[in-house]
Amino acid sequence: MASSPQLPLADDLFLTAHDTVKGKSLLTPATLGLGLAAALIGELVFWRRLDLIDGKLALIDDRPTGDPATTAVLDQLLREGHHRGVREWISFLATGIATDLVERRLSRAGLLVRQEKRGLLGTKVSFTPADSMVAGWPATRIRTFIGRGELLDVSDLVLAGLILATGLDQHVFLTLDARGREQLFDQFRRRLPAMLQDLVAHAEAAVGDAVMARRA
Amino acid sequence: MSSTTTPPQSQLSNALAKDRLGVAAVVFFVMSAAAPLTVVAGVVPTGIAVTGLTSISIAFIAVAIVLAIFAVGYVAMSRHIANAGAFYAYISQGIGRPFGVGGAWLALLAYNCFQCASYGGLGAIGSLYFKDWFDLDIKWWVLALICWALTAILGVRDVAVNGRVLATLLVAEILLVLVFSFANVFSPNFHASSAPIDAGSLVGAGAGALLAMAITGFVGFEQSVVFAEESRDPRRTVSRATYIAIALIAVLYGFASWSMISAAGGNVVERAGTEGPDLFFNVASDQLGSAAVHLGHALFLTSLIAAMISFHNIISRYTFSLGREGVLPRMFGRTVPGTGAPKNGSLAQSVLGLIVIVIYAVAGWDPLVQLFFWGGTAGGIGVLLLITVSSIAVIGYFARHPEGEDFWHRIGAPVLGTILLLVMSYLTLTNIATLFGVESGSGPTWVVPLAFGIVTLGGILWALVLRSSRPDVYAGIGLGARSSTAGSGGGGFAAALAGDREAK
Repeated sequence: MASSPQLPLADDLFLTAHDTVKGKSLLTPATLGLGLAAALIGELVFWRRLDLIDGKLALIDDRPTGDPATTAVLDQLLREGHHRGVREWISFLATGIATDLVERRLSRAGLLVRQEKRGLLGTKVSFTPADSMVAGWPATRIRTFIGRGELLDVSDLVLAGLILATGLDQHVFLTLDARGREQLFDQFRRRLPAMLQDLVAHAEAAVGDAVMARRA
Repeated sequence: MSSTTTPPQSQLSNALAKDRLGVAAVVFFVMSAAAPLTVVAGVVPTGIAVTGLTSISIAFIAVAIVLAIFAVGYVAMSRHIANAGAFYAYISQGIGRPFGVGGAWLALLAYNCFQCASYGGLGAIGSLYFKDWFDLDIKWWVLALICWALTAILGVRDVAVNGRVLATLLVAEILLVLVFSFANVFSPNFHASSAPIDAGSLVGAGAGALLAMAITGFVGFEQSVVFAEESRDPRRTVSRATYIAIALIAVLYGFASWSMISAAGGNVVERAGTEGPDLFFNVASDQLGSAAVHLGHALFLTSLIAAMISFHNIISRYTFSLGREGVLPRMFGRTVPGTGAPKNGSLAQSVLGLIVIVIYAVAGWDPLVQLFFWGGTAGGIGVLLLITVSSIAVIGYFARHPEGEDFWHRIGAPVLGTILLLVMSYLTLTNIATLFGVESGSGPTWVVPLAFGIVTLGGILWALVLRSSRPDVYAGIGLGARSSTAGSGGGGFAAALAGDREAK
């Protein structure tokens, strides 16, 4: 694929979280939901619609983004003015909303296909990457950049952070050597804005809490 | 999190509320670790045989009262702190971080005692049943290893399945204990015995041994506060669930033990010695027939397996939370991405279990008394010591943060509870020879307290090492994953931000 475009953050995370061979999710639905929830919030930060201050989401611009997935989250934020805690929003969006929004966005782009599997207890619908090349692309891109000692852009840095936060690094960063790892970590510390560092840290804490509460 | 003001028709509040746990769910989690049949048919008869003491019902009631008083302050404190690690978080915030880490290590050892005890119990009892059912001679350690493998595999696999299986087994167990106990009451040999409820025994010689036996039955109740932040109503759900669990355990175990001892007749200590864990089933067999006894045996085995799996999960999650906070090496904060199971915590427990089984098998030690009963009661002592220290921590915490709780919750109950717990701990430690059924001064009487002491001291020293070498980790001890400091997630990303070179 000559033109492998960088997708929106949550889409990249969704693809990274899926097996390139079988298209199966590498994460539990709960953990995937938490990661995608944080990714959608991250996208709204990129759109200059939200700030994250002291664990609370602050709305700085309520105009639609032009993208249905992030606009849906923004609308919800506008409707629920009393709730601003980022952890509440990550948990809320992780109840299936984030996964649903991202699956629809990727399907519209033709990158996911709907699969129906008939089992004993009815039909199970799942979305799997249309092309295994596409699924592997975000992770390959990050590894390539790090391998060449180049700088990642902010979206990819958040993606790499969420890969660590969800435990996906056990699949994706296996081949990174100690030097590459240290380089990536150094970029987290120097180049990731504090707001986004906090966002990823909150996502990671949410994943940990889910494990403790046996929800993961 | 201050989200108590709920506006009408908030989709967010509704969606989050749906996921929250009610009282029944929390009671289930707590009771499945307490394993009713394991205690009633396993610990109680073995304990009667080893110690020669029969006043076990009153001991269950007494321990329940003390724990209920302790729970007043314990639950009150859960409303104020994030406490995924329960005891550890309490002690860190109430007394100090070094003691918190010491407590965390002690808790790990105590829980592992239970875990290893269940391998011994299952092997010993299972091999008797297999002889009876299929006329098969299977070494205890073969069975123990099979169940060990099952636990190890489930530990790194899908967690949700475990929960449902455990819940089903738990209900079956409770029903079976009730049916057998009532059958005892209607048995022709039944003479309502006053020995099990003789309050005088609680001040006599051997009182500490009785209390230690009883407390093993309650272990797991302390897990209730772990669900504080997941519960529907943080002010009520956990406290109700805790009291209900304590009361249920006390009534169920107290009644079952009383009916068993009453139906067994005057020579109950001898019978417990010769019949062992079969005593509970034998005394009711003439009422219920052999089919019921076989069913009871089968459930006893599944109950032990359930206890095993459930404790394994508690231990691996506890290890996980300590790894996340940096109190244990970071690698313990890892999960299996595809299942959400705490991978390295689970593997570490499995390795330890394997070592213990192999040592007992090679040395030829008795799996029932020396592993199941000693291990279980040693774990009980460890938990009792932890509860005692936690009770002191509750006083310490509320002395510095008196807001939001009344006198009884802050000072009254915690002080009363601490005094009672200190007395219990003293009695237990001085009665350890009676408890283990050995000469005073012999091996086990000093090995167990010494092991607890060394591990606790190790934890304290480790905390002091962290204080000088990793002040950022030290500052976060006991604050839970929700602490507002940067890099609060506690996993790989947090370690990356902190520039943690040891992180993998």
